[in-house]
Amino acid sequence: MQEIKFTINGKDVTGGKGQTILEIALKNGFDIPYLCYHPKISKTGACRMCIVRVNEVMLKTACTEPAMEGMKVITEDEEIIKIRKGILELLLAEGDHNCLYCDANGACELQTLVHRYNIDQVAYEYPKRNREIDYESSEGLKRNENRCILCGRCVKACGEIQLSNVWSFTDRGGHTHLTSGLYEKIGDSSCVKCGACVQLCPTGSLSFQTVLGRGENWELTKESSICIYCGVGCKIDYYKNKEGLLVKTIGHDDGPNRGHLCVKGRFGFDFIQNGKRLSKPLIKRNGVFEEASWDEALDLVASKFIEIKDKYGPDSIAALSSAKCTNEENYLMQKIMRAVIGTNNVDHCARL
Amino acid sequence: MLTTEDIKGVIEKRGSSKEHLMFILRDLENISGNNQLEIDVLEKVAEITKIPKSTIAGFVGFYTMFKTNPRAPFIIRVCKSGPCHVMGARTIFDAVERNLGIKPGEATPDGLFYLEQCECLGVCSVAPAMMINYDIHGNLTEKKIKQILESYKSQKAIFGEKCGPEVEGKACVIDDDRQTKRLLVMVGKVDPLSIDSYIKNGGYAAIRKAIREYSSDDVINIVKDSGLSGRGGAGFPAGLKWSFMPKGDMQKYVICNADEGEPGTFKDRVLMEENPHLIIEGMLLCGYATGATVGYIYVRGEFRRAIERLQRAIDQARESRMLGKHLSGSTFSFDIFIKEGGGAYVCGEESSLMNSMEGKRGFPRFRPPFPAGAGFMGMPSNVNNVETYASVPMIIEHGATWYKSLGTEKCSGTKLYCLSGKLNRTGLVELPMGTTLRELIDIYGKGIKDGKTFKFAQVGGSAGGVFGEDLLDLPLDIDQTIKAGVTLGSGVVLACDKDTCAVDFLLNIISFFAHESCGQCVPCRVGTSQLHFLAKKFAMRTAVEKDIDSMIEKAQLMKQASLCALGQSPILPITTTLKYFREEFLNHCNTRYSCPECDMTLERFYR
Ligand SMILES: Cc1cc2nc3c(=O)[nH]c(=O)nc-3n(C[C@H](O)[C@H](O)[C@H](O)COP(=O)(O)O)c2cc1C
Ligand code: SF4
Ligand code: SF4
Ligand code: SF4
Ligand code: SF4
Repeated sequence: MQEIKFTINGKDVTGGKGQTILEIALKNGFDIPYLCYHPKISKTGACRMCIVRVNEVMLKTACTEPAMEGMKVITEDEEIIKIRKGILELLLAEGDHNCLYCDANGACELQTLVHRYNIDQVAYEYPKRNREIDYESSEGLKRNENRCILCGRCVKACGEIQLSNVWSFTDRGGHTHLTSGLYEKIGDSSCVKCGACVQLCPTGSLSFQTVLGRGENWELTKESSICIYCGVGCKIDYYKNKEGLLVKTIGHDDGPNRGHLCVKGRFGFDFIQNGKRLSKPLIKRNGVFEEASWDEALDLVASKFIEIKDKYGPDSIAALSSAKCTNEENYLMQKIMRAVIGTNNVDHCARL
Repeated sequence: MLTTEDIKGVIEKRGSSKEHLMFILRDLENISGNNQLEIDVLEKVAEITKIPKSTIAGFVGFYTMFKTNPRAPFIIRVCKSGPCHVMGARTIFDAVERNLGIKPGEATPDGLFYLEQCECLGVCSVAPAMMINYDIHGNLTEKKIKQILESYKSQKAIFGEKCGPEVEGKACVIDDDRQTKRLLVMVGKVDPLSIDSYIKNGGYAAIRKAIREYSSDDVINIVKDSGLSGRGGAGFPAGLKWSFMPKGDMQKYVICNADEGEPGTFKDRVLMEENPHLIIEGMLLCGYATGATVGYIYVRGEFRRAIERLQRAIDQARESRMLGKHLSGSTFSFDIFIKEGGGAYVCGEESSLMNSMEGKRGFPRFRPPFPAGAGFMGMPSNVNNVETYASVPMIIEHGATWYKSLGTEKCSGTKLYCLSGKLNRTGLVELPMGTTLRELIDIYGKGIKDGKTFKFAQVGGSAGGVFGEDLLDLPLDIDQTIKAGVTLGSGVVLACDKDTCAVDFLLNIISFFAHESCGQCVPCRVGTSQLHFLAKKFAMRTAVEKDIDSMIEKAQLMKQASLCALGQSPILPITTTLKYFREEFLNHCNTRYSCPECDMTLERFYR
């Protein structure tokens, strides 16, 4: 990439030709606000929050404007602040934002900007249009479009990352709103509950069913780990509350998944903390399961295998391995079947 | 209910890729019997074409001509845009209502008619007007409406345009010898249905000349020298725009913007209906100059007759080998296809237009990239207005110097001015760039209707400004209007007399913007709704003085921050109206102020 030099707020910066002002500014630690931009999706340029001053006169959206050699960028001045405040006020007047009731409270990009730009609470006289609220139809997603700022991130998350194309805007002008499928409930649509749209939604318009009532967003702590399901090995941030209960997962950018997850990684974590989960080996004696030590249990299994093999031959034993195991574990499984038991009866569940 | 076979048939005929969605849905709606796109039908379309269901839902929701709810065999669309508004559109709604007993959004009990409001139909010289399916009727009166509606009761619904004689393109041209006709010179003389007639009148000589005598750069240079500027509204120099098209043999497109959505504009329709080959020839010249091999004409969906005549002209041109491969024995190949609109003013904005052509919602695109960099289907495209292309053949034929012999220093050539409103004579006139409002009104409009006095004129359409008496002598060209803080726009001149209420008029303009905002960017989406709310407060006498400032502030924010020119537009009508009529707005702040225009029934029209 050809290198270009220009200034942001008087400081020299360098970037690649074709990169936008916003990309280079963020990389260099400049804080330009935005709502519709997201690094994982194509450019939108619709919220207009990232307007910056270019070469002293022009106002340009930093998220769409390619940086040019010798350009002078100012990220904020009085006029720009006025515009940003104006936009935030329009958004607050358009939607219904009572953070008290909102899943995103404390983790909302709109709320953060409203605080940053010190917007007063205004009793707007403008009529609001009621949009869809649906907390029921989907087991994964909740939707309260009265908190939607129509940034389009969900539309692109589903269309460009998950490729399910569940969301689209419909109607137009002040009547614009989202539709899932052909005006269907989200639970009745072709949504596969990957959660990408929720993860990218800057507000509480889309949220996970697992979150509300399990602690405030600012109380959650996160730990990164690898998904225990398939061999892709997605990196996941697991969020837990004060009581240590897992409440949500967010795809981590550094893994092979680049932040994306599937329904299993996204929602299939409740079993971990389920009381019925086995944590010690059990041996059935006289029809009742009794706790046993690992040595006891493994000895029993080994002796039974030898017994069966001697009596009925090695091909009377088969092993079914799991996609949840690592490659190495699966390798060992076939190895033990072939080298120790002496059979080729090895199979794999392939899907979970 | 349409069968799967019906749906398959339509998709097979039109093609199953997304760019044909507009045609597919229009055909399905036309054969549905009650002008409806049922959800089940859309579901089937999604299944067969593999276009995502949400994409179809979003598309149908964007274009106002489509509806998923049942309508009726005959849809009556009554225009409520500026010119019709001034000429009494609201009384037309009342008359239709009285005759059929239905309000907008309702069907008659016999299930025959369905009533809708619509924006400009492009027949503004015969306002007030309405469209029944695709038939347009103008100069409406209560009596005429009754006759028209009666005549439909015994008819079968058809979907071609068979409008009244007053709406015919040539009937909309003002008959006055003082005009300087260049674009209109063949209108009425040439038979729009016959390529032979066009050729006999000297048609296709320019493209032959270009192929014979000029290189593609020569053509661009001649157009540059001529000083021809875009006639769609923004006035960008045409030759310069053509020169932005990259060299090389990638697929390039020539796109003709025939959306003509600016209320008060009807010039492109007249050209398309009366001399379609002239537009084709202009596009051919652009293709030759820029190395594009495919052209598209994006015509608004309401212009049935224009679409039919253009299609016929294209077919004839193909037969006569004026379109196709290796034209005139050269290496130059070019063909033209038609795309249709679906009822969205914003689709006249060039980038929105290309999205619409691709079968998407008409969202304008951010720039860069510009069309010449990445346009239709991401390939280099040149977009010009109908009138712009139609001006090119004469420039090539007679030369740049000849073209510049008319017009002003900075803006050469002639301009089609669209006269409408309270004038004794309305219609299209072709005059040198820089003709004044006074000449247009007094000479060509024969003065204000019925001897009343001039109050103001709206010049340039909804996105244009309001002119008071002080601007009557301003030369109306692109350059001088901008210097005076207004715009020539598409050439709309809508004259208003003392009976026109400025508050009601501004409300009408703002309601247009609120209806036509694409809803993509925050300032315009929310701003237009809020402006509409504020303007309505004045008309309803519930406003206070500081609402004037609020309106200006909002429109200012929209001007600074909106993504496309639609959102940047309302500031001009607002500030120019207030410049002259602030007093009138203040009067309307009094609950007891009586205004015959802003009666309480307007609530119904501006929801
Ligand atoms: C909201 C909006 C609507 C427009 N509608 C039209 C239209 O109906 N016809 C048109 O030719 N240009 C229209 N334009 C202007 C086009 O964007 C574009 O400038 C024009 O087609 C370029 O052609 P020209 O250079 O020949 O004028 C519109 C622009 C905006 C912002
Ligand atoms: S979406 Fe954000 S601003 Fe709106 S209510 Fe929720 S937390 Fe508050
Ligand atoms: S959860 Fe995944 S599939 Fe479902 S709508 Fe969101 S992005 Fe699309
Ligand atoms: S639901 Fe969220 S991501 Fe989607 S448009 Fe609304 S605010 Fe943006
Ligand atoms: S300014 Fe209005 S019409 Fe243009 S992109 Fe924004 S919302 Fe759409």
